[in-house]
Amino acid sequence: MNNKNIRNFSIIAHIDHGKSTLADRILEYTGAVDKREMKDQLLDSMDLERERGITIKLNAVKLNTTYEKEEYTLNLIDTPGHVDFSYEVSRSLAACEGAILVVDAAQGIEAQTIANLYLALEQNLTIIPVINKIDLPNANVPKVISELKSVFGFKEQEIILCSAKTGEGIPELVEAIIKRIPAPEDSKDTKTRALIFDSKYDAYRGVIALVKVASGTLHLKDHIKLMQSNADFEIVELGVSTPKEVKKEVLEVGEVGFVCASIKDISKVLVGDTITLFDDPATEAIKGYKPMRPMVYSGLFPVEPNRFEELKEALNKLKLNDAALSFEVESSEALGFGFRTGFLGLLHMDVIMTRIKREFGIDIIATHPSVVYEVKLTSGEIMKIDSPNKMPDKGSMEWIKEPFIYTNIIVPSEYIGPVMELCQNKRGIYKSMEYIDEARVNIHYNIPLSEIVYDFFDKLKSYTKGYASFDYEISGYQESDLVKMNILLNGKVVDALSIIVHKDFAYDRGRKMVNKLKELIPRQMFETPIQASVGSKVIARETIRAMRKNVLAKCYGGDISRKRKLLERQKEGKKKMKMIGSVEVPSDVFLAVLKEGDE
Amino acid sequence: MKKIKSVYIHIPFCNSICSYCDFCKVMYNHDWVLPYLERLAQEIDNVYMGEAIETLYIGGGTPSSLSIFELKALFEVIAKFKMSDKIEFTFEANLNDIEEEKFRLLYGLGVNRLSIGIESFDSEKLDFMKRESNFKEAKKKIALLRKIGFKNINVDLMYAIPGETIGVLRKDLKKMLKLKPEHISTYSLIIEKNTLVGLNKIKPIEQEHDLKMYETIRKILKKKKYVHYEVSNFAKKGFLSKHNLTYWNNEEYYGFGVGASGFVEAIRYENTKSLTEYLKGNFISSKSLMSKVDNMENELILGFRKLEGINLEHFFDKFEENMQNIFPIKPLIKRGDLIYKDGYVYINPKKLYIMNEILIKLI
Repeated sequence: MNNKNIRNFSIIAHIDHGKSTLADRILEYTGAVDKREMKDQLLDSMDLERERGITIKLNAVKLNTTYEKEEYTLNLIDTPGHVDFSYEVSRSLAACEGAILVVDAAQGIEAQTIANLYLALEQNLTIIPVINKIDLPNANVPKVISELKSVFGFKEQEIILCSAKTGEGIPELVEAIIKRIPAPEDSKDTKTRALIFDSKYDAYRGVIALVKVASGTLHLKDHIKLMQSNADFEIVELGVSTPKEVKKEVLEVGEVGFVCASIKDISKVLVGDTITLFDDPATEAIKGYKPMRPMVYSGLFPVEPNRFEELKEALNKLKLNDAALSFEVESSEALGFGFRTGFLGLLHMDVIMTRIKREFGIDIIATHPSVVYEVKLTSGEIMKIDSPNKMPDKGSMEWIKEPFIYTNIIVPSEYIGPVMELCQNKRGIYKSMEYIDEARVNIHYNIPLSEIVYDFFDKLKSYTKGYASFDYEISGYQESDLVKMNILLNGKVVDALSIIVHKDFAYDRGRKMVNKLKELIPRQMFETPIQASVGSKVIARETIRAMRKNVLAKCYGGDISRKRKLLERQKEGKKKMKMIGSVEVPSDVFLAVLKEGDE
Repeated sequence: MKKIKSVYIHIPFCNSICSYCDFCKVMYNHDWVLPYLERLAQEIDNVYMGEAIETLYIGGGTPSSLSIFELKALFEVIAKFKMSDKIEFTFEANLNDIEEEKFRLLYGLGVNRLSIGIESFDSEKLDFMKRESNFKEAKKKIALLRKIGFKNINVDLMYAIPGETIGVLRKDLKKMLKLKPEHISTYSLIIEKNTLVGLNKIKPIEQEHDLKMYETIRKILKKKKYVHYEVSNFAKKGFLSKHNLTYWNNEEYYGFGVGASGFVEAIRYENTKSLTEYLKGNFISSKSLMSKVDNMENELILGFRKLEGINLEHFFDKFEENMQNIFPIKPLIKRGDLIYKDGYVYINPKKLYIMNEILIKLI
């Protein structure tokens, strides 16, 4: 087929604005899937994705359609719908020439609408604005049209009105894709270059890379080289997804498809990397590659210490399919052996934890998520710190920097006050604010990522009664007055509970954790102090009172069997305890303290 | 195995039900007493092997709730036992039931120890317990018992009742002591599930307060020359309860009657708690053979209730094992949980009130 008749595009939207349903409807309209085969939201293939209405692993589907008697190929490239995966979004968008921007007719523009649109504009994509769900009784089409006009500068006649539910407006949308989105550029460079925008692991075929051929061609049995990872392979399978897989001999310039090359190690197939030919390599890789760096770290420990090996196995399996996941063995006195695990963000962390639990049946305890700090030592050396327990002594540091984010917080204007108050409380630095329409604003702050990781989402929700939408991008590192806070039980540091916290917040966090522990740890044989300390200074203290009574007042003949049962129950209870120094702590205390944040 | 020398007989009938009691009991009903005694005789015939009995304990329920006629019938059943000359024969009684004819009868039939459930003289505590008592009455009744000839009387005292202050406890103790009992049993309230207080979800008092009450009791009774010989029991010299020591020494005994338990030929058994089942002749509800390890563990669980603790030589004679080889005694001595002295190992008296914590480490 002629390159001129290919259209590569993505759909971008705020969560729940109907991206996946719209994709399904386009598939159905173009005949890629029979109505009977339609499972709701076909592109979201993982159960968890369908459940949460988010896309984690990507898909690319090739659709054929006829317009004005000409055959066209439409490649629909899916994007993940969450800020944690914004780099992956940008790589998917880099494989496209256009994007459909979906906005809910009742909700209007939200934070992710803006964040995603900017990512698309960075790639110079042609944008087709679409107002979806116009069939809803509370749809307010004129208002959303005016938002699209005023916030993004779209013209009214550009905007397509549709309902993915009823199918209204779908033919117009497909027509717009063909007419407005340009065909992939015919590169003057004849050397083969293909952009990897996602990869997944198949137990039988190894890594499957999703690619867009930017120049040249890829053939079956080509000897290829990956320019970043510098690995080389032979292509054993090429094809496209319609969404059924169709094998092909060749992928031409402009085409989107998959490549298999018996690759066992997913870390060799980096999202954003360029595939070229081993014997006739391109001189320059496709621009925009960034190594994926975890933003959030947490220690994951099996609740039952003897399941460490199983946890390792689970993480290894998840890693096969998730190049962004990284982990190394960590040992904690309190929690035993586990893994220091790096995630792209909180959602990524949540997804991994849920999958470990659900797919592998392992209960885990996660320590407080930590961001990556930058420390300059007095020796001049600069270190990255991903765990409170790796924090050097205060005396040996010149400064500590922490990552900040730049926010898009969209709220009805009556919540400006509460949102600003929250952001100030979270050490935010006010940047700017703009009106989306007369009733809604977009508020920009720079806020430390560690505060977002702590409890910002929950607080934002309660401060705005759920009306806020929130998105962010990393804006860089800034110096902060941070300290390491330890929790001590009977004078002994509990490593799993240490946190890095801003000096001004240490007292409050310390008090909350100490109170919570006091509530959860049972009486011991001796009086047991619980302390929160910064350096050598104790900032909060509580005391677990000593056990004063554990005896049966009465014990005559028949009571012996009852008494034995009681003792056996108590003994069983002790087995579930972890010894922290001389203090017996029920292992679920860690779970409770770490899980509840420290509300 | 040593010969069995102790018998417990349970009489489940009561004239009123106390709010905290989880012993096996029913409201007194004349129609059930004689059939019950018939079954009791049958159960004794099934099991008793003719040993001379040195301690006999009739408990309940409220055995004193039986009429004179019924008591005579009971004693016809008891006549089945061969009794040693120096038998300790205890009968449990309620203050309200004490009257001359009935207790002369008991005395004449060989009862030489009475255990009287007074529990308290404080009206608020009594309201909570759903019991009645009166100090003046008590004094009169005890005088009567002395006149009849009873020389060994125990009174029960309950404490740790919600709302009870140290002052209230002291007053109770003072009055109890005025009765000059030979033996005092003191019980901290246990809130059991299937009792009125349990059903009302009453919360136990603070541990600190409970312990303080316990210490108050120990101090006062020590001053009055009572020997603290078991967690909850105090006695004048020479008046330790031989029957109860059978339990705490982990020795075998017969138990008869509904809800009773026994320990015969290495088997611990429990009788049915259902009076209807018992009246049908279905006596035993569960049996378990004690292994050597079970027995050794029970020796500790029960034996450490005694303040004198466990005699190492006696332990060896009984099990042909050194106690310190079987159980981690030494580290606990080192920690100060246990004390070794003159051939005995015992719980550090300061830690008696948390002895379960220590037992858990042992067994």
